[in-house]
Amino acid sequence: MEQRIQLFPGVWLQCVQTQRFKSACLSISLLRPLRREEAAMNALLANVLIQGSQNHPDLQSISQAADRLYGASIGPLVRKNGEIQTWGLYAGFLEDRFAPARDPVLEPVARLLGELLLQPRLENGGFSAGYVEREKNNLINTIESALNDKQAYADRQMLQAMCSQDNFGVPRLGNVEDVQAITPDSLYRHYQAALASSPVEIFYAGSAPAQAVAGLLTEVLADLPRAGLVPLPYRPLGRRDTPQYREQAMPLAQAKLSMGFTTGITAASPDFPALMVFNALFGGDLTSKLFQTVREKLSLCYYASSAVYGAKGILTVSSGILTENYDRVKGEILRQLAACQAGEITPAELSAAQETICSSLRTVTDTVGRMEDYAMFCQLSRFTLSPEAYRQAVTAVTLADAARVARQVQLDTIFFLKGVGE
Amino acid sequence: MNCMPYPGLNETLYTTVLPNGLPVYVLPKPGFAQKTAYLAVNYGSIDTAFTWQGKAHRTPDGVAHYLEHKMFDLEGRDVAAEFSALGANSNAFTSYAMTAYYFTCTQAFQQCLSLLLTFVSTPYFTAESVEKERGIIGQEIRMYRDSADSQVYEDLFAALYRHHPVRVPIAGTEESIAAITPQTLYQCHGAFYQPANMVLCVVGDVDPEQVAEIAGGFFSGASLPLPIRDYGPAEALAAPAPLTRRVMDVAMPTFQLGFKTPWPGSGLAGARQRIVGDLAADALMGESSPLYLQLYRQGLIDSSFAAGYEDLPGIALLSCGGDSPAPEAVRDAILAEAGRLAAQGIGEDLFRQLKRSALGRRLRGLDTISNTCFRLCAAHFDQAPYLDFPQLYAGIEKEDVEEFLGKTVVGEQCALAIVLPRTKEG
Repeated sequence: MEQRIQLFPGVWLQCVQTQRFKSACLSISLLRPLRREEAAMNALLANVLIQGSQNHPDLQSISQAADRLYGASIGPLVRKNGEIQTWGLYAGFLEDRFAPARDPVLEPVARLLGELLLQPRLENGGFSAGYVEREKNNLINTIESALNDKQAYADRQMLQAMCSQDNFGVPRLGNVEDVQAITPDSLYRHYQAALASSPVEIFYAGSAPAQAVAGLLTEVLADLPRAGLVPLPYRPLGRRDTPQYREQAMPLAQAKLSMGFTTGITAASPDFPALMVFNALFGGDLTSKLFQTVREKLSLCYYASSAVYGAKGILTVSSGILTENYDRVKGEILRQLAACQAGEITPAELSAAQETICSSLRTVTDTVGRMEDYAMFCQLSRFTLSPEAYRQAVTAVTLADAARVARQVQLDTIFFLKGVGE
Repeated sequence: MNCMPYPGLNETLYTTVLPNGLPVYVLPKPGFAQKTAYLAVNYGSIDTAFTWQGKAHRTPDGVAHYLEHKMFDLEGRDVAAEFSALGANSNAFTSYAMTAYYFTCTQAFQQCLSLLLTFVSTPYFTAESVEKERGIIGQEIRMYRDSADSQVYEDLFAALYRHHPVRVPIAGTEESIAAITPQTLYQCHGAFYQPANMVLCVVGDVDPEQVAEIAGGFFSGASLPLPIRDYGPAEALAAPAPLTRRVMDVAMPTFQLGFKTPWPGSGLAGARQRIVGDLAADALMGESSPLYLQLYRQGLIDSSFAAGYEDLPGIALLSCGGDSPAPEAVRDAILAEAGRLAAQGIGEDLFRQLKRSALGRRLRGLDTISNTCFRLCAAHFDQAPYLDFPQLYAGIEKEDVEEFLGKTVVGEQCALAIVLPRTKEG
C-alpha cells in the first residue's frame, strides 16, 4: 500500500507499507537545481553531517549508535537525475519485529537521521573546520578516484563534452576546484539556505503504517526551516548539427569508447517506454544487437552496452576495445543503429527486450532499496507510471514503435580514451 | 524433501540429495517476484593440479574460468538468448574456489531451471568456438590488468603465499590460456562437473518438490570418483614478500593488507572462525573502533576502507584495504593497535554492540535473494549450515576474538600490496 503525504510545505513523505521484509528503509533527500555554483557543496554536506551531531560528536559515536540499532546502515546519499541534484541521508535497518531483543528500531533510526540533518556539531556558530577540511579531501579523492574506473571516466568526459552548454554536464559530486574553494563558513551558509529552500522527498518502506511514520517524522523534522522553495529545471538536451569527436591518450591495455546520442524523448514523454525497449534491444542486455554482434560475432570487445538518461533524453554507448579496432567498432555500432532505424528488428529481439524490462519491473517491489530508487526516479524524472503500468506500456510497444524511436536517436558526441602501450 | 524450519528467522529451508547425487536446497520466499537458482560447482581457479582416475593432471591457469565461458555454448543453440527470451537473466562467475551458474527470473521458472541444468550438464566445445573465446577472455584479462582494485588484490595473494594457487589470477594470463584446447575443457568438465561435486540452490516463491523433480531428470550418467586436489605444500604462516609496489594510473595510492592465520578446516570450525574473524576485524579496525576514528581523522584512510576475514581451502586471512596516502603508516598503526588490544582487551560494551550489529546485518541480508542463494551454495561446499548463524553468534565470546587477534595480527604474518599513482613516481 502506497501513500504520499505532505508533512510541511514542500516536504513530502512517500510510504510503502509492507510486511514482506526483514529490513526497512528511510531516506531523506533535499532537491536542488544541478549547477556548478553549488554542486560541490551539496555533495559535501551530507558527508560533513554524518561526521558528528550535537549528541553524537564523532564518527565513532554515530557508528556505535548504529551498532546498537542492530547494525543500521546510515549513509550520505547524493544523486544526480537530469538537472536535479539531491543530497541527504539513507538508512537501512532491521524491522522492529525481527529485533532479537524486541526493542524498537524505526523510531530511534528516524530520530538519529533527524538529529544528523538538523543538529550538526557546531564550532563557533559554524561547521567544525576540521570535519569540513577532512571531508573536502575525501570528496576530492573520491572524484579523482573516478579515474580508476576507466569506462566511467570516459563516459563522464563524453557527457561533459556533450552537455558543455547544459547543466547536466556538471558532475554529480562537483569539480575538484569547486570543492577546494569551499570554506566551513560558505558551506554552513549554503546548508542553512538549502534547508529552508529545498523541496524535500522522504521515502519509507517497511511495516509501520503511513500515519505513524508521518507522525514520527513531523516530530523529528519540526525544526526544519521553510522559506521560498527553489524551482527545479526539467528539459531535454538540444540537438547538435554535426557530431563532435574528442579523444585522450592514456597508458591502457584496453581502450574505452563512449558515444552520446540525443533522442528528444524524456521520461515525461509517452514514447519513453518505447525508447527503453529500443535501448534494451540495441545495447541493454546480453541478447542485444551490440552484445551479439560486436562481442559475440566479431569478438571486437569484452563489452558493448547502452544506457538511457531519462530526464535528459540521452542515450549512451560504452565499450572496452583494442585501440586499433576503433573504426571497426564505431562503424559496427552505427550500423546496428541504422539497422534498428530501418526496422530490421526481429520479433524475437523485440520480445526479449520487453521481457528483460518487464522482469526487472516485477522485482522493483522485492527490495526496499529498489522501491526507494524507483520512487525517487519518478519524482525527479517526472515519470508517472507505477511499475505495473510501466510494464503494460512496455508490453504494448510494437516493432514499428521501436523503429520509430530509433529514428529519433542521433549521434552527438564521441569520446575515445586511447590506449598507448603499457 | 527435508523441511527445516527456522522460526526465529521466519524461514524454512528444504534440503535433499537427489538419487543422481545432486544436493538441493530450496528457500521459499512467498510474495517475492524474483526467483533465483544457482547451480554451483566445487571447482575454482585454484583447482589446476589434481589426481583423477589414477593420473596426475596439471591444467593451464585460468581453465575453470575459460570453461565457465564455454559452458554457455550448446550445439545449434544460444543459451543466453534462450534465457532472455524467457525474460530471465543468466550469468556465471568463477572465483578461486567455485564456479557458479545462475539465473534470476520472475516467471517461466521451470523452463529456466531446466535450461540451467541442461547447459551446465552438457559440455559442447569445438576447436573453432574455443579459439574464438580466447580473444574475449584476453580482453577480460586486460580489463583486470587496468583495474587497480583487481591488481592490488592479486598482488596481495602473491605476496602472502609461496605455493598456494591463490597466487595466480582467477582468469589466468594471456600466455596460460593459450594452451587451453577443447580436450582440456572436456577433461575438466568430466572430472569436476559431477553432481556429487555440485549443488543446486533456489531462493524465491517456488515449490521445493517441483525443484527436486526437475533436477532429478538430469545428470543420469554413472558417477566417477571425484578428483583429489593438490594445493602444494602446506604454507608457513610467515609471508614471503612483506611489501609489494606497482605503479598504475590511479589518483591516489590504494592498498590491500593481509594477515595470515591458520586455516581451521571446513565445517563448523570454519564457520565459527569466519564469524570470529569478522568480529575481530570490526573490533580492531571497523567504523566503531577507536583505531578507525584515529586513522580517519589523520586522513590516513577514507570511507573506501574495509576490513574482513576470508578463507579458501587451505588458507585463511584477515585483510583490509582502501585508498590511503600512506599505506605503510596504516599497517603500522594496525599492528600497534592489535598489540594494545592483546594487552588491554576489547571493551565489553563495544564487543556486545559489534555482535548485535553483525547479527542484525546478517538477518537483513536474508532479504537479498541472490546473495542468500550464493551463500547457501558456499555454505554447502564449506559443510556448514548457513542459517545456523544466530546460535554461532550466541556462542562467541570476547576472549575468542582477542585470541584470534593475538595469533593473527602480527608483523611477520603480514603482507602489504600497494598500487601507486604514476604521476608520483620518483
